[in-house]
Amino acid sequence: MSVVETPATRRTGGSTPHRASGRATRTRRRRQGSGLPWLLSVPTLLLLAGLLGYPLVRMVVLSFQNMRLRELISGRTPPWVGLDNYTRVLSDSVFWTVVGRTVAFTAVAVIISVVIGLAIALLMRRVAHGVRMLMIVAMMFVWAMPQLVAAQAFRWITDSDFGVLNYLLDMLPGVHYQNHSWFVNPWQGWSVITTLVVWAGIPFLAITLNAGLTQVPKELIEAATVDGATFWQALRNIILPILKPLLTIVTTLSVIWDFGLFTQNWALRDGHPEPEYQTLATYSYTQAFGQSRYSLGSAISVITVLLMLGVMAFYIRQMFKIGEVD
Amino acid sequence: MVATTAAAPAARPRRRVDDGVMTVGRSRAGTIAANTIGVIFSLFMLFPVYWVLNTAFKPPTEVLALTPTFVPTHPTFDNFLSAFKAQYFLQDMLNGLVVTLMAVAGALVVGFLAALAIARFKFFGRKGIILVILAVQLVPFIALLIPLFLMLQRVSLTDSLIGVSITYLVLILPYTVWTLRGFISGIPRELDEAALIDGCTRGQVFWRIILPLTGPGLVATSVYGFIQAWNEFIIINTLNSPAKQNLMAWLLQNQTTRGTAWGPLMAGAIITSIPVVVFFLIIQRNIATGLTAGAVKG
Repeated sequence: MSVVETPATRRTGGSTPHRASGRATRTRRRRQGSGLPWLLSVPTLLLLAGLLGYPLVRMVVLSFQNMRLRELISGRTPPWVGLDNYTRVLSDSVFWTVVGRTVAFTAVAVIISVVIGLAIALLMRRVAHGVRMLMIVAMMFVWAMPQLVAAQAFRWITDSDFGVLNYLLDMLPGVHYQNHSWFVNPWQGWSVITTLVVWAGIPFLAITLNAGLTQVPKELIEAATVDGATFWQALRNIILPILKPLLTIVTTLSVIWDFGLFTQNWALRDGHPEPEYQTLATYSYTQAFGQSRYSLGSAISVITVLLMLGVMAFYIRQMFKIGEVD
Repeated sequence: MVATTAAAPAARPRRRVDDGVMTVGRSRAGTIAANTIGVIFSLFMLFPVYWVLNTAFKPPTEVLALTPTFVPTHPTFDNFLSAFKAQYFLQDMLNGLVVTLMAVAGALVVGFLAALAIARFKFFGRKGIILVILAVQLVPFIALLIPLFLMLQRVSLTDSLIGVSITYLVLILPYTVWTLRGFISGIPRELDEAALIDGCTRGQVFWRIILPLTGPGLVATSVYGFIQAWNEFIIINTLNSPAKQNLMAWLLQNQTTRGTAWGPLMAGAIITSIPVVVFFLIIQRNIATGLTAGAVKG
């Protein structure tokens, strides 16, 4: 789930002119054999329905039942409890703290990574060729690194006894960070997690936005320069408006990914995140698999998906709007 | 004002405008600053990667030294050896390969058919299928883990490599369909039509034109599917017992059970990452375009 779920249409793109020409005749012909395309789609649809659609329905059903370990072992239908799980979750202050934390983390992480990503994308156009290559190579390595490996690397770097971060900070005059534990204070712990997420997210953002910057016509910038525009004016009035569709999409994706944070806080806290390090995803998981409260966990998942629904719908609408889906 | 505008075109060839965007306010000092920031940024990005490598080649005494060395003074392969000798490591590597390859192969076959339908046919319900495929990529898989676990348990597919393979197949299927769709629609329809006029059947068009021309796309798609399945650990860790994990899950379990042996852990992390990094660097051109493809009109 880490990198990007991406269509690589652009590489092979360039078929746009064909699409427009002769559509009418083609449409007429293709419509006749409408059985074949369905036949081709059936295996995919069956698999998606069976292993995504059905679990989704089951998740909702489960959230209205009370599934515990006993029902799991005996295989009996768990008792119906109506809205009990929801009232329990929604009236629990711990839950609301987790929601607040997840939202706050998402906001901070997304803003920082998009701003830095954009800055790096702009920087890449300014630096010498060799430096640009160095930046791309560095980012490619980071991008390729599996999430869990990256999390383990950060766990090691921030280790309280032998971590290199404490060693380096300790060298600063007047700073004593020997044996400093980064996860005692949640603010510090979350800074580590946020740094990890931002660090891992920058390559996708910077490289994508850099590709987007090639769309900014030189003439516009030149004209602006001639008219005496400063860099910030050019950025605000020319670059950002042109980049807006792309920025919207990468920001939306970042929101979706960061809101579902699991791997990073899970791994950095040794698979047992303390209450201060729970996000919605880990909270639901811990309730279900740690405490065998499968129904309660499902209710939390349902609420999580509902919270995300707006953003997801926005993303899909955006994909249709820019004509990627044709 | 008029003079300025008139002079501008004449002056343009002399000014070096190699890239349009950042020419505003370009100065020598600014360029030096930009290059410096670029180098510092790259070093910052690379540091964790370097530190993993650095640690993996250190003997235990050097790993647990209060003053860390920035280059191993006595480089050794011991950590890699002990990773290989560690419990379950080879088993997990094999499991990971089996599960990943089965998932990728399945997703490729199934997904290609659907991609063909979406890319080459106009039919009732096409938009609906696209909508489903886009939407399911956004559903957090962890949310579905509870019902999935209960479902697979009912049919005795928990603690089984088959159950995980099927789950991974579905995990990478939407992406596979979506990417292949892009590759197929990149093949000019005129080729199909010419072949049909020359007397090819639909089947021949598929075998002789579409399949060979989608070749690179199939490679890129399967490699990316491989990366996704290889990197997954939450599902397999939840569904299966310790003997049936993959390497990612090994990295996670290794930390909890025996305290942390950082050297072997970093060595294991490198071994685990190698296929992913190599594959990623091969197909990075395809990945970089991203979910965002349409927003960058070339």
